[in-house]
Amino acid sequence: MRRLVLSAALLALASAGCSKSEEKPVAPPLDGQLEPIPNPHQPGDFEPLPDPEAQGGSVGRQPRRLTVAQLDAAILNAVGRRWTGPGNDGIDARATSLGRADYALVASENTEPNLVFAKFLEDGARYTCLEQAKVEVTQTDPSLRTLSRTLPGTWGDLRKLTDAQVREFLVYNSTRFWGSPLSGDELTKWVGLFTQAATRVETLTANPKPRHQVLALVCIAMLTDPRFITY
Amino acid sequence: MKKNRHDENPHPGRRTFLKAAAGFMGSTLLGGIPFRAFAQAAQLAPADRCFVFVYFNGGWDQLLAFDPRDPDEFTADRASETKILPGYNLINDSNFRDRPILPAEMVGKPRSNIDFGPAVGDALAKHYDRMTVIRGINMNTLGHEVGYRYFLTGKIPIGSAARGSSTATEIVGQMSPTVPIPSISYNVESYNDRYPGYANALRVSRRDDLLLTLRASSNRLDTELENQLINLRGEPVTCEQAAYGARGVGTTYANSQEQMRLVQSQGLDQAFNFLANTPEMAAVRSRYGLTDQGSVDGERGRAALVGTALKKGIAQCVTINLTGGLDTHFGTQLTHANNQRRGFNALASLVDDLRESDHPKGGKFLDRTTILVFSEFSRTPLINASGGRDHHLCNSCLLIGAGLKHNLVFGKSGDIGMSPGTFDLRTGAADPNGENIFPEHVIATVLASAGLDYSITRVEPLRPILA
Repeated sequence: MRRLVLSAALLALASAGCSKSEEKPVAPPLDGQLEPIPNPHQPGDFEPLPDPEAQGGSVGRQPRRLTVAQLDAAILNAVGRRWTGPGNDGIDARATSLGRADYALVASENTEPNLVFAKFLEDGARYTCLEQAKVEVTQTDPSLRTLSRTLPGTWGDLRKLTDAQVREFLVYNSTRFWGSPLSGDELTKWVGLFTQAATRVETLTANPKPRHQVLALVCIAMLTDPRFITY
Repeated sequence: MKKNRHDENPHPGRRTFLKAAAGFMGSTLLGGIPFRAFAQAAQLAPADRCFVFVYFNGGWDQLLAFDPRDPDEFTADRASETKILPGYNLINDSNFRDRPILPAEMVGKPRSNIDFGPAVGDALAKHYDRMTVIRGINMNTLGHEVGYRYFLTGKIPIGSAARGSSTATEIVGQMSPTVPIPSISYNVESYNDRYPGYANALRVSRRDDLLLTLRASSNRLDTELENQLINLRGEPVTCEQAAYGARGVGTTYANSQEQMRLVQSQGLDQAFNFLANTPEMAAVRSRYGLTDQGSVDGERGRAALVGTALKKGIAQCVTINLTGGLDTHFGTQLTHANNQRRGFNALASLVDDLRESDHPKGGKFLDRTTILVFSEFSRTPLINASGGRDHHLCNSCLLIGAGLKHNLVFGKSGDIGMSPGTFDLRTGAADPNGENIFPEHVIATVLASAGLDYSITRVEPLRPILA
């Protein structure tokens, strides 16, 4: 008896669910009948960006540190080579310490720029920049260079570069490394760094002069700058 | 959330920071080099409170370690009744006694209330006046990874997957020490499920990994170029850099770079070069019995690494896999006893060192250091047909040092089959209606010993052993 009552109730529900509601068809909209869209560019229609002065000099979201995969790709693009070596060392060997998750013990990537990250990035910057700079010193075709693409085809004494050439070199590389060109007083500061380094290298007695270290110095400084590791 | 009294000095870095800032400002005003002044002003200092977690890998025989039995009472004839066979006579080696060690009473010290298994040895047993032993711990598992992770975190794993953070991570997360590498995990897993990255342990599988972090990069520029690089990094940041660095990541990175330079400027990697021909290293070698590269890479070298990391102010917590080879389902009692003894002798050297070394804030290092010695479970009280012992549920552990009462045994394993007991955990007395002791009680006790929040363990600490 109970089963019969349940079946009847189910049938009643099903028939109610299947019955069509009486909906009136809506005519397609005609021109001029659409709701007007507010102009987002009108003052008062949108939330203005926060005042940087009231935000500690910054706006928008918090900067984030690059993940290991992003760092790998960024080094390749900026310096022109991956951080691999010497030996089995390199970004792959140190990925876990740099924060990559192994999904066994660590389930999420750690993007904290802690001491170990700073140390290992410094190691990687020095290795990749010095290796790349060594290659670029001997490369006469500027289009095949990465760091020194703006320098003349053959260059020796870097003191002989004009101020404009040095500035072009630094602006090019800062754009390459950070996505924003050096300018103003900061550019002047970096010009000073380049000039001092170029002068120092020429005073060394080594033969040939380790001029590649000037390129490497700028490369290391830019690669270990907070602007390189954040986005 | 349970509230505990706070650490006496939760922000120990303020003075260091002010000193460094003064150096920075002063040198800037005088036209000097800011970062050199910073490095000179900011000195590494040991953490006010240190922790060492010593892991014996493989599951130890607690009859040989911290829960011995009298072989005259637990004889082979009665083994079918007691289900316990100490087997000390089977070791048959002059380095091991055939009965438990009861340390000799020393002048000015109370008589030992702790008896130790023969593998512990006199070198460690003599520190009974700074020890507390917990017996009758119910491990709830016979799986290596499960027991190991249970003791590391104080939470029973899900399957074999760890839950929660490692105790060292929890400590560092709560205390936020200013040492350059707050937590080091040497050949031990480390977990962090709720703290920022600063609480992560530096995981190393060998000494060389640690040296890699502490050592200056091998790819060096000309000295003057290096100085130029340092000076560039030390100059005031631009507006654009400030925009990146104003909130979080840029500041953290800059601090990390500064820490890195500080660590490297101190040549801390040399602090671990135990075979170096210097008076300081000769003293370390003598204390820890280091004679060659083999001993440096072994238990004694690991113990020396722990002591150095704490004393030099490099780390606050060190979790170390001190010795292994204890999973002896087959083989002789001597093999297991020898493997344990190597670990205990190394531990004894560490305790000696911490006990005799002055802490800059007063007292000895051991007065400010808590050491937990554990294994994932124990081994069966009966010997199997292969001459070894299998996995056993009931475990024991050793606590040494700060924040604890000493010369004390808490808990007891059963006299039949060494089963976990039930106790009134408020008093430590055996109570048939009481509770088991679990690893979370031990971890809660360690946290409470330093006044830290132990609510993550969801249990009360073993208050009778808290100082």
